[in-house]
Amino acid sequence: MAEQVKILVIDDEAIMRDGCARILSRDGWSVITAENGEQGLQKIRSHPEEIDVILLDLMMPGMSGMEVLDRIREIDTNLQVIVITGYATVESAVEAMKKGAYDFTAKPFTPDQLRLGVMRALEKRLLQKEADFLRRERESSLRDIATEKSKIKTIINCMGDGVIVCDSDGSIVLTNPAAGLLLAVPESQLLGSLYSECNLHPELLMTIEKSLQNADSGYTSISQELTIGEDANIYLRAHTAPVRSDTGETMGSVTVLQDISYLKELDKMKSDFIAMVAHELRAPIATIEQQLSVIINKMAGDITETQGQLLRRAKERTRGVLDLIKDLLDISKIEAGKMVQYKEPISLHEVIKGVVDMMTAEAQVKKINMQFFSSAAAVNINADRNSIAGIFTNLISNAIKFTPEGGRILINLEDVDGFLKTCVSDTGIGIKKEDLCRIFDKFYRVKSSETRQIIGTGLGLSIVKSIVDAHLGTISVESEEGRGTTFTILFPKEATAAGCK
Amino acid sequence: MAKKILLIDDDPDLVETVSIILKSKKYEVIAAYGGIEGLEKAKKENPDLIVLDVMMPDKDGYTVCKELKADPELSRIPVLLLTAVVSHIPTTRYTQQMGMETEADDYIDKPVEPGVLVERIEALLAKQ
Repeated sequence: MAEQVKILVIDDEAIMRDGCARILSRDGWSVITAENGEQGLQKIRSHPEEIDVILLDLMMPGMSGMEVLDRIREIDTNLQVIVITGYATVESAVEAMKKGAYDFTAKPFTPDQLRLGVMRALEKRLLQKEADFLRRERESSLRDIATEKSKIKTIINCMGDGVIVCDSDGSIVLTNPAAGLLLAVPESQLLGSLYSECNLHPELLMTIEKSLQNADSGYTSISQELTIGEDANIYLRAHTAPVRSDTGETMGSVTVLQDISYLKELDKMKSDFIAMVAHELRAPIATIEQQLSVIINKMAGDITETQGQLLRRAKERTRGVLDLIKDLLDISKIEAGKMVQYKEPISLHEVIKGVVDMMTAEAQVKKINMQFFSSAAAVNINADRNSIAGIFTNLISNAIKFTPEGGRILINLEDVDGFLKTCVSDTGIGIKKEDLCRIFDKFYRVKSSETRQIIGTGLGLSIVKSIVDAHLGTISVESEEGRGTTFTILFPKEATAAGCK
Repeated sequence: MAKKILLIDDDPDLVETVSIILKSKKYEVIAAYGGIEGLEKAKKENPDLIVLDVMMPDKDGYTVCKELKADPELSRIPVLLLTAVVSHIPTTRYTQQMGMETEADDYIDKPVEPGVLVERIEALLAKQ
């Protein structure tokens, strides 16, 4: 390290030059000398970044020390200059210091004084280099950040999905051309404006407004579908999420918009196709079952016991197909958004009671004790009566199917913190752990020796879940093999009311 | 005297099958294979009850029912609507979906257990 340190001595007196060189090189520093200002500057230029400290005589013929000092500053402000004044005057020393010299030494000086001065100047030089290095580091990382920023900006601008970022005061601070295009509002009109003044879709306005509310409103994020365009033929999925600080304060919100029109179109084609096929299949099978019923009931003449048995089996099969068709129609209705259309204030208590009453006979056939407990008879929710009844018909008929003779089925309804909570529990065969997570999937059926005899489509629970979803509720299941199963449904009282507007 | 039932359905196999059920209970059955024909026969035959299918190509069951109930001469005849909605839930959803109010006196899903059909018909006739 010490060898690399270069000290330049600029003095017109050879004795001084040699003296300094001798003293300083003893400490391992390398010393170069110049006998006048021009030579000194030349050496500085020819050894860029190598010279650390300069000893500069102020009184020299030709270019004065002061002038040299000025020039040195122009070349490198970090060079540490110690001025040597032969006829020390405070004035000239102060002037030199003002011009940026680091220190001054009056002639005559002792070797120790010189060494000490140089040492301190070197320390300063080192610190400065360190500081320089850190500053450059910072600059380069700032440059990185700037590049990163422009990268992100480019990405956001090129995205097909629209982005709208709002500040906590509701002004739009970031957006992209896609957002303008999707919402049919020029991007320039969005950026910097208050979201509430941008002529956005009313439902989107409401969601952004909610997302900007306090964190204690419990609002997290919401996905919604928006229909826009003159013919309402453009479908957008808008996902809005609040941005919160560590302390939970709402700092703004981010909305991502996606054009899902083509998905909607595909979905509709699929639903239409299923509905068409199902209707076309339904009529002939319904007629076949009707014919089978008449024969089985011996209304078309006597039949033998064996014939009767075969025909009853045949009828069970047509029944299975008709159930499947009904479920397919329900699914296509749900997917077309037509299943839950008629929301009105209903008493969940009454609907469940109706279903329980209707199914009691079925339960009695298997000597199953079915009971309904309710502590929320007076509470209404906004819901579609028929589809809600469908949920409980499905769950209870499953419970009857999978509960052995002499078992119990309990249906419980209660009002719990803004939710109506319903449980349907049975003492049936239960559901294996590995099946539990898939029972709400379309066409999923638990396969075991116990379920083989039970006819089903594998659509029932997926329909139940879709209906619960459409009412912004949740459904969960707990089960223990051989002990029984409990389905728990929560309907939010307020959300269903809002969803009904 | 045997009660007269008008059976309106575009599916001849279903008409035949339901006729067997009704005839086994000694009802007199008149068949019509479409909405328009059904309305004509209702006027001509003056039945005691009408069993009416919903999905028919020429004139659907709801329209037929509406016209029957709008006709002062026919409005007293009970109408049992055969719907294609399979469900144990007493439902008026179908009418809501069609965006129509019908004044049918009862609904029944087809296919129907012969015993249930007869029960419902007897109940409607007993109201008369």
